[in-house]
Amino acid sequence: MPRLTIDGREIEAAAGRTVMEAATDAGIFIPYFCWHPKLSVPGNCRICVVGVEDKGGEWVEIACNMPVTEGMVVYTNSEKVRARRKATMQFITLNHPVDCGICDKAGECTLQDYHYEYNGERSISVDAKAHATKHYSLSPRIVLDNERCIQCTRCVRFTREISKSNGLGMQNRADHSLVRAVEDGSFANDPYSDNVIDICPVGALLSRSFLHKARVWYLKPTASVCPGCSRGCTVNLWHRRPEWRLRAPGMRAQNETIDRVTPLENPAVNGPWICNKGRDIAKVLGRARAETAMLKGRPAELQGAIAQARSLIAAARKPVAVVSSWASNEELAAFKAALGARFSVLVKADHEPEPGEVVQDDILIRADKNPNTAGARALFGEAPLALPPDADLVLVWGEGLDFGLIPAGAKIVYLNAWLQPENGHADVFFPTSIQTERDGHYTNFAGVTSAFTQCFPRPAGVADAQALFAALAGQAGGGE
Amino acid sequence: MTMPGRKVIMNFEVTPTSHSLEEYRARGGYATLEKALKLQPADITKEVTASGLLGHGGAAFPVGRKWGVMKPIPGEIHYLCANADEGEPGTFKDRWILENAPHLLVESMLITSYALGVRHAFVYIRGEFDLPYRRIQGAIDEAYAAGYLGKPVFGTDFALDIVVYRGAGSYVCGEASGLITSIEGRKPYPRNRPPRLTVRGLYQKPTVINNVESLANITGIIRMGAEEFRKIGTAKSPGTQLISISGHIAKPGVYEVEYGYPWAKFLDEDCGGMLHGAKMKCVVPGGISTKVLTRAEIEPLTLCHESVNPAGSGIGSGGMIAIAEGTCMVRLLQVLLRFYHHESCGQCTPCREGMGWMHRIIDRIVEGKGVPEDIDRLYAISAANDGTTICGMGDAAGYATVGILNKYRDEFEYFITNRRSKFDGRLECLA
Amino acid sequence: MKHLIPEFEKMKERYPEGFESSLVLPCLRRIQEDRGFVAEEDIVALVDYLKVPRIQVEEVLSYYTMLRRKPIGRFHLQACRNIACSMRGAEGVIAHLSRKLGVKPGQTTPDGTFTLTEVECLGSCGTAPVVMVNEAYHENMSTEKLDRLVDELAAGVRAGGK
Repeated sequence: MPRLTIDGREIEAAAGRTVMEAATDAGIFIPYFCWHPKLSVPGNCRICVVGVEDKGGEWVEIACNMPVTEGMVVYTNSEKVRARRKATMQFITLNHPVDCGICDKAGECTLQDYHYEYNGERSISVDAKAHATKHYSLSPRIVLDNERCIQCTRCVRFTREISKSNGLGMQNRADHSLVRAVEDGSFANDPYSDNVIDICPVGALLSRSFLHKARVWYLKPTASVCPGCSRGCTVNLWHRRPEWRLRAPGMRAQNETIDRVTPLENPAVNGPWICNKGRDIAKVLGRARAETAMLKGRPAELQGAIAQARSLIAAARKPVAVVSSWASNEELAAFKAALGARFSVLVKADHEPEPGEVVQDDILIRADKNPNTAGARALFGEAPLALPPDADLVLVWGEGLDFGLIPAGAKIVYLNAWLQPENGHADVFFPTSIQTERDGHYTNFAGVTSAFTQCFPRPAGVADAQALFAALAGQAGGGE
Repeated sequence: MTMPGRKVIMNFEVTPTSHSLEEYRARGGYATLEKALKLQPADITKEVTASGLLGHGGAAFPVGRKWGVMKPIPGEIHYLCANADEGEPGTFKDRWILENAPHLLVESMLITSYALGVRHAFVYIRGEFDLPYRRIQGAIDEAYAAGYLGKPVFGTDFALDIVVYRGAGSYVCGEASGLITSIEGRKPYPRNRPPRLTVRGLYQKPTVINNVESLANITGIIRMGAEEFRKIGTAKSPGTQLISISGHIAKPGVYEVEYGYPWAKFLDEDCGGMLHGAKMKCVVPGGISTKVLTRAEIEPLTLCHESVNPAGSGIGSGGMIAIAEGTCMVRLLQVLLRFYHHESCGQCTPCREGMGWMHRIIDRIVEGKGVPEDIDRLYAISAANDGTTICGMGDAAGYATVGILNKYRDEFEYFITNRRSKFDGRLECLA
Repeated sequence: MKHLIPEFEKMKERYPEGFESSLVLPCLRRIQEDRGFVAEEDIVALVDYLKVPRIQVEEVLSYYTMLRRKPIGRFHLQACRNIACSMRGAEGVIAHLSRKLGVKPGQTTPDGTFTLTEVECLGSCGTAPVVMVNEAYHENMSTEKLDRLVDELAAGVRAGGK
């Protein structure tokens, strides 16, 4: 293990590591644009220069491609390094438009940060900036601004090395080079394409669904778990900061909506990536909600519905529960504690693969399109979903069950978050909360448990499942 | 044509058939290969190292030292590439070898491959070369037919395949790692070092890339032995240099010059002096990336590395360009910067942005819209490209720019102040 | 492109194993020689034949100056404008060609006979100025030699010959 000194701090690094990696491991920051821990090292941006002591002098080279050697003495902020970084920033900003005012990346842009940190001066150029394509449609999901692009090739390398779609390339040469999608349109089929938006260090790659939607400093990320499949990727759900709530009438939707989804890096599950379905999870979570309890389709007070459900449970000779694989571990445990002894319990898949969806690959996407099948099965077993014909009460929790499978004559108690036709067919219907309205945990297919956190208040009239189960079992509490 | 000094390469009379296998053999061709195959591979490398042969591609890196990194381990894959991507403006010497002595290159590549444990070798030839391509491909086809290539040769178990790989128009392919990326069938983006190409080169296998002229010397070195070879040239620059001279010179062409030959004599006598009897303003010594030297500066110099380098320039690729009095150096630099901008691969920041920037500045100066700070700007951009890019191209453009600015700053100031050239924007030498 | 596959197979024989990606450039050159440019169907067929990512072929086509995806004139006149040629009158040569053909560099004559292109150093500095006509170098060019060359080529086309 070579020992080296960075900025006077002695550190140890595994042989074969680069100075960039060794510094990062030790918590020492060296600026970079093109380098990415999960991608190959092109060494093209040249901003990560460091100084290395040599025979009383100092030579300056890029850190990302410099192997550590025993006894090497590295400076990340010497005069030479600062001068070189400044010159490089002059080049990088030479043709970069100053359109931060209308750029979605503003506020989380590496180029902005580095400009203030390492340059901070006007361009020494007096020539007009070179123009390139703006608003270029890279795919139906991604818009490219070639003037903002600093050609770090992170996006190109991502499609080569991670998603393996080979969907992007760098066309032409010199300062006419352009990132372009492969002409057969196959980049649009890359289910991981939107990761290039996150890894773009500047505002060149923009999400069409987030385009000009919000300034990022008005938003706040809440840690969550993507419910799109049993991988359970950890994500950040971005939504309006409470202190920046829009107060004009009719703005509730804007205040309580997920504006974008980004990966929350997690070495145990998804690394720094997620798939496009995860980006679009707001569409699933944003569907019309059921917000009123019902008795045979007629709106009812929640307390009345609880009373009715309790009497049905008390009267049942063979009650069966079909639990949700979108429920949290906490909710599932609450069900087991309150009603597990009274019901025989089966686990169902709330969601099946949609037509056209990638069912499974060897990157992240899993065939089971539910986040907590493993958590549910751990509590309730692996029994196949077969309702006994003599069941006289079926408690259905969550969407996705074909009500035609319920034995004729059996009473139905139904818990669902969404506004769906089945709701009215239940003897008792309870509207329940969704993931963004509570805290909880999912356990993924490999047994890794991840936490999600509440983003928005639970709407009035919607029950909290944990409390509801206690109430149905006759314990204290009422579900609200 | 008289020649300045002894010869290693241009040592025969060129006729319409002198490039053929038959005539090459009549000159003793492929006898050195037979001799070499009786030696141990390591002894050949030792001999080449002892010869002191310096690379002829421009950087003058000792050939033996480059080879020394490669250990011919049986079963391991190694590659050899002859760099025939002759693209440095002013340079056309390798073309002479490809057209007139292609078998010398083939024999040298066979000997080199044997020394380095190479089974597959490549000749990377620039895409525009047509006759040179047909000559080298023809020679290789002859060598296959004669049994020198494609199967074990001279009763040994050594066999070599040579592929001629044609470029398609790109200066950067002449840079060793760009060349390799191009042979891999991709855009010729140069690669960062480390690793060196002799450690991880073509398809990640150890690869030696030598300039055509460097390789062409190998046969002569093995034939005569390092000791004899070192008697040619100077102690620090053994052997000869093919110099291709162009520009405002009376007798442009390719000359084999023994290292140590007086520079002024070469120009005035061997090359017939300046075109139309003009006076010489300056000379580009070895490809446009080497700094120009004035006539007065070269007067005491001899053509060898130890004489030219201390003068702040270099022998480079041997692409010499003579420039007459009355030539506008601003326009000349414009031509060069347009070229560098055109040929930047665009991979790394300083070169991608810097080349276009310098080109825009010089165009503006020539349009009469220059400002005094433009000179400092050109210096600053050159400095910011010095040693900061993945390959040497950014440096090269800077050297060319600084070389001209240092010596002819007054012409730039004149152009900027008066909004016109001091010499009518002239590039040609008038009769 | 498909009719060239037997040629490509032969070419492959001299390459080491696993060099399919290397064949992109030589195959594209051969396709262009055959058709005059590289067409969409050639790209599709080549990607299928070599099993390389299509983006690689697109990048290569966009990068190298000699490759093109659109047809050009029957005679491609490429005039060098780099240092040695400029010092020997290349600017006059290009201006003369441009006037004579009635097109600017980068354009093709309306009858599709000539395309004029300015190029950088062709390695013919000692015989400057140089103009390439398709693959062949024409060296030491002067306006008189150019006139003769262009007239001969045009006359050949009118006569229906090559």
